[in-house]
Amino acid sequence: MESLEVNFQIYHYWRSKCAMKGEKMMQKLSDNILDKLSMDFLRNQVLKNAYGNDDTFIAKLDPRILLVWYLFFALVPWFVDQVPFLLGAFLLVAATTVMARVAGLVLALFVVGVFSQTGYLFLVSLLFGGNGETIFPLLILTLKVATVSLASVTVFSGLDPDRLSNGLMWFGCPERLSFSISYAYRILPMLMEEFQNVLLSYRLRGNAPDGSTLSGKIRYLIYQIKVIVHAFYPLMLNTAKRSRTTVEALELKGYRNAATSPAVKKLKLSSLKIGYDDMLFVAVSFLWMALTIFAAFLFR
Amino acid sequence: MEMVKKQTATQSQKLMIFVLTMALYGMATLFTELIPKFQVGIVEFSVEYFLFIPLVLGMLFDPLSAALGAATGELVFSEIMLGQFGGLGELEKFVTVTIGVYLAGRIVRDPRNRKLVGFAAIFGTGVQQFLGMLVDIFKVQFAVEGFEAVPGLPESVFATEGFAFLNDLLFSGILFCMLPAIYLAPKLYGKIEPLLGMQPRSEKTALGGINAKVVLVCLGAFAVAAAAELLATSGLPLIEWEASWAESGAAIAAGIVVAAIVAVAVLLMMKKKAEA
Repeated sequence: MESLEVNFQIYHYWRSKCAMKGEKMMQKLSDNILDKLSMDFLRNQVLKNAYGNDDTFIAKLDPRILLVWYLFFALVPWFVDQVPFLLGAFLLVAATTVMARVAGLVLALFVVGVFSQTGYLFLVSLLFGGNGETIFPLLILTLKVATVSLASVTVFSGLDPDRLSNGLMWFGCPERLSFSISYAYRILPMLMEEFQNVLLSYRLRGNAPDGSTLSGKIRYLIYQIKVIVHAFYPLMLNTAKRSRTTVEALELKGYRNAATSPAVKKLKLSSLKIGYDDMLFVAVSFLWMALTIFAAFLFR
Repeated sequence: MEMVKKQTATQSQKLMIFVLTMALYGMATLFTELIPKFQVGIVEFSVEYFLFIPLVLGMLFDPLSAALGAATGELVFSEIMLGQFGGLGELEKFVTVTIGVYLAGRIVRDPRNRKLVGFAAIFGTGVQQFLGMLVDIFKVQFAVEGFEAVPGLPESVFATEGFAFLNDLLFSGILFCMLPAIYLAPKLYGKIEPLLGMQPRSEKTALGGINAKVVLVCLGAFAVAAAAELLATSGLPLIEWEASWAESGAAIAAGIVVAAIVAVAVLLMMKKKAEA
């Protein structure tokens, strides 16, 4: 009898502990989701994506090689309709994306973007008398879009922006573009922090409407949008001041002359070098694509 | 005789405007790229557009620099830095954003006139969205083989794109472009120009409205953008190239595979040697 009592107690203890654990887990989960949506999280993901992975195999490759490689995977899938070839191309760019260690948020955005688009299109086409046959061309379209965007994720996310802008410059892109990339790379963290600070100071001074009822939620949303728009007023003035300083500093260093001078360009691009890794990368990609072409012939 | 001076900026001031618009709009689009969209019924509530930023700056400063800065900013910040660069499709966005912002900037003679600012903002957004819609429809038409033949596809594409256009124009256009522009443009007028060392825009110094030349240049630019998209149809040489080796297909493909294997092996050996 006593042992039963003890057992019962133990059971209760265990139950309550489990409940506590469950509650804690629920709380942790909701914390986690809230965490994911916060401004800080967004900022961290962006910064991680832009600055975080410069030690991967992809990041060390020569930007010129990668750009040519990208051009192939950005153009060719649009012209080919053989499924084995498209599938092979997709697998290759998926592998390179893994190698480039792209930030999770970017990949999540990619998945949502690709599938919601074609899924939506399919649902609407059902409305207009489409049938099961409609899904096949749409799947091929999805495969093409996915390949092209993963290739771009690999190159533009895996490569650090400075190297990317050098590569673009080598191919004769306007100096303005490579300047913009380098500038964006440096100014982004500052600008984001400033934007966040302005937003926070508006929030400190403002009185947010109660968001518990439906009309309250709508009012809260409108309030948020208003705060964001208002925040751009000081931000525009500050950025105007900053861009004047930037341009004046550039002028002092003779930027406008340097932008057009071939000697400066040569000096800037002298750091680019094609090594064995680059050639290997191209050769392995080439081998894989040749194999998929071979497979495309076997299975036709 | 007093000459009417047009609002011209020096080269370095144009660069300042470019940098200003690029940084601000770039950061804003970066956020919109990350914030999820949510749908209520069929109406999509997306914070797609912070287009009011370049619109306002285009009304206050040199429109062309602001327009180019906005397009570049979107390209660099949200596409290249996030790795969402979509190849040729981005050219279309670049051109349509430039045209929309430039036209809106040209319309406004006096940024204090709220009615004109509101009209210009919604007009610029409308032009941008409409051109984007046209290109989107073309894109699906050429990516899907036998587009007309797939049951239900053409109608659904027209319907979704047309609906997205109206939705974007009425929701994002009014809420995120027109109202903020009406609020910000008069407020910034006279305050932001001195920071770049410029005179505020007035009736006399405005560039003048849209004339035939402007429209022609815009149409030309759009034609280039559309042509880039339609490259897919003129991909005939590629298809012919495919057909020519399709006859003895497998043998040649096998040859390519062997060549690629040899290339990889040789490169690996060379690398080993170089490291040794």
